[in-house]
Amino acid sequence: MQATLPTTPSFDRAAERARVQRERRRTAMIDVLVTLGTIALALLVGFLVMLIVGKDPILAYSSLLGGPLSRTNRTGRWIEDATTLIILGLSVSIPFRARQFSLGAQGQMFMAAMIAAVIAIYVPMPPLVAVLLPLAAAMLAGFLVGLLPGLMKAYLNANEIVSTLMLNAVVVLLYDFLLTNVFTPPGSQSLRSEAIQAGSMLARFTTLLGVNLGRANLAVLFAAILVVAVWALLNRTPFGYEIRTIGANEKFARYGGINTRRAIALSFAIGGAIAAVAGVHLVLGVHQRLIPGIAAGLGFEGIVVALLARNNPLLIPITGLFYSYLRVGGDIMEQEAAVGTEIVLVIQAVIILLLTAQVLVNYVKSRSRPVRET
Amino acid sequence: MPTASDSAAAPLIEMRNITKIYPNGVLADNDVSFEVRAGEIHALVGENGAGKSTLMKILYGMERPTSGQIYLRGAPVTIHTPHEAIALGIGMVHQNFMLVPSFTVAENIVLGTEPLRGAFVDKRAAVAATASLAQQYGLNVDPEAVVDVVPVGMRQRVEILKALYRGADVLILDEPTAVLTPQETHELFAAIRQLVNAGKTVIFISHKLREVMEISDRISVMRDARMVGTIDKRNADEHLLAKMMVGREVFLNIAKPPVQRGPVVLKVRDLEYATEAGVEALKHVSFNVYAGEIFGIAGVEGNGQTELVEVIAGLRAPLGGVIELEGKSIAGLPPRGVRQAGVAHIPEDRLTNGVALESSIQENLIVDRYEREPFTRGGFLRPSEVARNGEVLIEQYAIRTPDGALPVGSLSGGNMQKVVVARELSSRPKLLIAAQPTRGVDIGATEFMHEQLVKARNAGVAILLVSADLSEVMSLSDRLAVMHAGRIVAIFPTTNGLTEEEVGLYMLGTKTMTQAEIERNW
Amino acid sequence: MDQALQVIFSATFIAAVLRVSTPILLPALGGLISDLGGVVNIALEGIMLTAACAGVLISVATQSEWPGLLAGVVMGVLMALVLAFFHLNLKADLILAAIAINILASGGTIFVVFLLTGDKGSTSALVSKQMPFVEIPIIKDIPVIGPIVSGQNLLTYVAFIAVVLVAVFLYRTRAGIHLRAVGENPEAARSVGINVRAQQYLALGLSGLLAALGGVYLSMGYVKFFARDMTAGRGFIALAAIFLGGKTPWGTMIAALVFGAAEALSVQLGNLRIPNQLVQMIPYVATLVALVIYALVQRQRAIARQRKFRQTQTVAVGS
Repeated sequence: MQATLPTTPSFDRAAERARVQRERRRTAMIDVLVTLGTIALALLVGFLVMLIVGKDPILAYSSLLGGPLSRTNRTGRWIEDATTLIILGLSVSIPFRARQFSLGAQGQMFMAAMIAAVIAIYVPMPPLVAVLLPLAAAMLAGFLVGLLPGLMKAYLNANEIVSTLMLNAVVVLLYDFLLTNVFTPPGSQSLRSEAIQAGSMLARFTTLLGVNLGRANLAVLFAAILVVAVWALLNRTPFGYEIRTIGANEKFARYGGINTRRAIALSFAIGGAIAAVAGVHLVLGVHQRLIPGIAAGLGFEGIVVALLARNNPLLIPITGLFYSYLRVGGDIMEQEAAVGTEIVLVIQAVIILLLTAQVLVNYVKSRSRPVRET
Repeated sequence: MPTASDSAAAPLIEMRNITKIYPNGVLADNDVSFEVRAGEIHALVGENGAGKSTLMKILYGMERPTSGQIYLRGAPVTIHTPHEAIALGIGMVHQNFMLVPSFTVAENIVLGTEPLRGAFVDKRAAVAATASLAQQYGLNVDPEAVVDVVPVGMRQRVEILKALYRGADVLILDEPTAVLTPQETHELFAAIRQLVNAGKTVIFISHKLREVMEISDRISVMRDARMVGTIDKRNADEHLLAKMMVGREVFLNIAKPPVQRGPVVLKVRDLEYATEAGVEALKHVSFNVYAGEIFGIAGVEGNGQTELVEVIAGLRAPLGGVIELEGKSIAGLPPRGVRQAGVAHIPEDRLTNGVALESSIQENLIVDRYEREPFTRGGFLRPSEVARNGEVLIEQYAIRTPDGALPVGSLSGGNMQKVVVARELSSRPKLLIAAQPTRGVDIGATEFMHEQLVKARNAGVAILLVSADLSEVMSLSDRLAVMHAGRIVAIFPTTNGLTEEEVGLYMLGTKTMTQAEIERNW
Repeated sequence: MDQALQVIFSATFIAAVLRVSTPILLPALGGLISDLGGVVNIALEGIMLTAACAGVLISVATQSEWPGLLAGVVMGVLMALVLAFFHLNLKADLILAAIAINILASGGTIFVVFLLTGDKGSTSALVSKQMPFVEIPIIKDIPVIGPIVSGQNLLTYVAFIAVVLVAVFLYRTRAGIHLRAVGENPEAARSVGINVRAQQYLALGLSGLLAALGGVYLSMGYVKFFARDMTAGRGFIALAAIFLGGKTPWGTMIAALVFGAAEALSVQLGNLRIPNQLVQMIPYVATLVALVIYALVQRQRAIARQRKFRQTQTVAVGS
């Protein structure tokens, strides 16, 4: 149409397209290889650490890598933990896609656990409602706990790392306070609330299947639904378009007419609502009551799951299963080989460092580049 | 006056067979050889992207050549850092000033080689050194002023003094006149001649042929990463240079039919704005833009044009005044509201903020309409529609890419430009704001942009054109306003018979039309 | 309420403020340097934790506080340099790499402590030395001021002296000026031959050094043992203090003192039969509120600047 701009005859669009698609498949392959290589390297670092501190790394690693499948109840623990981590990874992936470093998952889980428990303990409800109402209320609570730092970031430009971590501390202390002074029945020997009503309990696979799968429960379904929902949200809704565009270039998004402040604040809040589902899983599925530190130690776990999956919701189940396998293996290793399960945190840190190290990743990519025909 | 002698003088600098390939595969310089004689003013000309800036960055140690050798006074040298270049007496004044805004003029001039008193930096000595250097070369600056608030012309003098303070014998000036008025340019040229009289050598990068003809002794021309040749000014003229630059005859005259002016589309009255830092940017700005005309705004950069464009586009909120589009107020609306009212905006920083590099071409093309039919239906985005829209626009605007699903970052600068233009024009705007539409693009892309603007104008779109390139804005506009210090100081009802010198006087603020005169031309 | 007021205005309270401000002020000064160098260090928390742990372990092993201090500082700087290497050489995202360092520190310290003591909570079974407390002659005998200023831990004095040193470094020395130039306009710095990467290494290294001193103070000044995650968010409160302090050394000091006061108050109120969790919230809530107030004040100032212009302009036009 543009007479002034003839497409150069040498430019063969179909051939170029085929070449580009080949290139894209190759890049995807390399991404997978880089991720697997990173994991291997991180495990090697853990191995070396144990060698240096004089532990038996073979024994330790056989518990770490074989443990979760050695007994059905351990496999149950894996499923249970993976459910939490997949949901957490999904929760983190939304603000991360908008390049917002929301680290508030921990506070959101504690808040959600509390709200879900209060309703599930004290409000008599018919079946199904007994699950859905606590779930909805907890998600609303998570939404609000996420919204606050989101609004602070979007409208006041307050550093979200500081605000989410401070808010986490406040919520955890509040949880502790209420558990001690309100939820624990008077005269109780240990610090824990009453059990939730039977109708609110998420059925466990142990009872459903007759195999001892520990506390793994139907919340797996929540995780599965959320995988699809988050994928659809990010890739098939205008809001997802806003999030992705803001993540790619915030100024461009604003210039193009996107209400960036609203979208940023919402990315925090929706992340919070999803993290809340993880909290609900802990209360209605795993513990079936409030216990001290119910979501302790889960603060940053969503990050590594999301990062490994490159914030792609469809890959998060895989990375979540992988990472929880390591965590459960770490616990077993601690029992069997007296090596602290915290080595898994070290491995996690190494994975994050290596995956974010662009130069390393690009180096691998450039080395694996085929010789160009031209 | 020591002019460049014809052949006897040994070259001061010789760059032999320089090739530079960037890691991303771009070939910036291809076997380029270049020599500079002591005491000459040597112009290096070429289109954007011809490789002249890269060549100079190599000479200044900011880039390393892939192959090739540099000789200084006949001896081979390696220059791997600016530090080494400075040590060899080579200084560079960059196009984007390399100044630290919160530091004073003196602090900037001595930065990197601060005078010490014991263990501490001696600020008084820095001020004294700055003052004496400024006097020696007749480059007037205020040593204790904070750079953030001093005018552009002074910032440039600071840059030159910075190089001189470091003992530069050779000064590389990278497009120094881009931000200056014609009058300021004359001052700069006087200063350059004074520097040469004091024994310095100057390399002058430009693509403004008239200036090159005025100031230089010899001229080297680059095209497509190669050195086309070096000629004496005596043997050169603008046409010859233009031919060398682009390899064909260039017609800078823009053909456009007589204006068919329609009703008022954009009405701006008493618009006021101050930045968050409290800098007054717009003072009682008033004008109209009519359907079917190109209304140009000329002015030295930094006189409120950027703010004016961003206030109208909704990126900044005005402090007061009226902005109406076809009679409806759009003042203070967010960008989406302004766009929905019928405004399209080609921003001046379009290659950084007019696109999202990681997002696909298709998605870049819908940022202003993704939430509407047909792209969103029933709350869900429809990738097939997004792709279809992409295909149509890629075809229509000849965006050169194998696949609209590729990231915009995979395109060349010129094609990214087309993505922006395609999106903005396809929104069928009533008003199109084009800010510095040809900055940073080569002649081919410039022609494309000019044609698109004229085509939109002929189709009845009201066009607000803001450009610091005086010849561009004068040849494109049907009516022309001049901004100075946040005010509209003149509106010319036609550009016929206007000279650049005349407009330049208004740009400098030396001349101002009366309020009544301006209002007559609203 | 009277009791509370009495508490606040007592000399012991002010002395306590200085004491609890120390482990915020030191990392905050470090964070300030890194921020002005354009590489804000989010890993202050992890660096403090590592230094606190290393300090105690080496002090226990050598039965002397000085090798402990040295080990803490060396480990802290090392962690900061690892962060610098990943960000500056390997181009890792600064924030994510710093989060990784924090995770590494949290997991690594517990791992090591468990390995050595079989206890995951703390090293309280091991007896560490403590950094000395300093009685200042003459001053210690002045009423009111004496008990406040004298008798503090050596590292508390170091922290407040560091404010002056950091100010002098940043504004009077070549290295400091280059560092700020790099943070504000790296291209400009590079163009005059300043080694940008070296300056940013310096910035992160110094932030590691100062944060490490804060960490050592926590485990060997405040108490005599290391406990898991004993930094309890101070590294992040320190970041807030930088912003609130307007990114100047003196402002940062004042902000650190405000946070210190909030924490000291929470300790004092704890004696008044108020549930301790609620009291412990005070510094965190204070940080959140401070973040909001800071942002609102900034915005208000910007609006005021714009308004001021508008008024003067209207006058000019009217005349």
